[in-house]
Amino acid sequence: MAYIMLTLLIGMVLGVISVASNPSPYFAALGLVLVAGVGCVVLMGHGGSFLSLVLFLIYLGGMLVVFAYCAALAAEPYPEAWGEWSVLGSVLGYLLLVVGAGSWFWGGWYEGMWVPVDELIEFSVVAADSGGVALMYSLGGGLLVVSAWVLLLTLLVVLELTRGLARGALRAV
Amino acid sequence: MTPTHFTISSAFLLGMMGLAFHRTHLLSALLCLEAMMLALFIALSLWSLQLDATGCSTAPMLMLAFSACEASAGLALLVATARTHGTGHMQALNLLQC
Repeated sequence: MAYIMLTLLIGMVLGVISVASNPSPYFAALGLVLVAGVGCVVLMGHGGSFLSLVLFLIYLGGMLVVFAYCAALAAEPYPEAWGEWSVLGSVLGYLLLVVGAGSWFWGGWYEGMWVPVDELIEFSVVAADSGGVALMYSLGGGLLVVSAWVLLLTLLVVLELTRGLARGALRAV
Repeated sequence: MTPTHFTISSAFLLGMMGLAFHRTHLLSALLCLEAMMLALFIALSLWSLQLDATGCSTAPMLMLAFSACEASAGLALLVATARTHGTGHMQALNLLQC
């Protein structure tokens, strides 16, 4: 189990490096899918299966699909992947940085530290993270109403930004 | 620092560095911002799970909702930029130059 968690955490860092080295947006979106998928499995390994499901549905199924469609705006004849030297230099630099920072800490890492789960990994009538999220509807109802208001405001902001025509600083030519 | 804590911290910092050292596309800067939001979501969820404070599980959910709002606003800006300047490249945003 410790080896599985080690592999997942390394996969997460490699995925974020593949996004942060700024290749062409097609490949960066692919790296982000990898980070989200591996992050979901890390969450499941710590007992948060509901939050992992929410991340998969909303993040991967909602937001990243929209980003993938917007990647059509970045179409170019020769997209740069991680083999290109300008991107590979960033990848190697970030890898060196992570390994260097990790070398500060891995002296004190022992076997039991990788998956420190005690109560939340077992079955129960109401799973822990689902019960916590349910609080959003009962005691946190006011914040829920505020968030719905914020989402409506964002919709109006987006519609106003993409209206173009002759209002604002960004105009459609 | 536990390995998991180190991983999510380095994921956040790497995303921030990718955002700071952006190159050509506005969209890849927005994707680095999304990577930062993802690292924050995983961090909040793991903290509420590890500390057995399951009442804090609402924080990652609301953060995901607001990060979706922010992503949509960023993409609207990208679309408006592409319609005005013709490309999504950062060099096209050069009206305020020093």
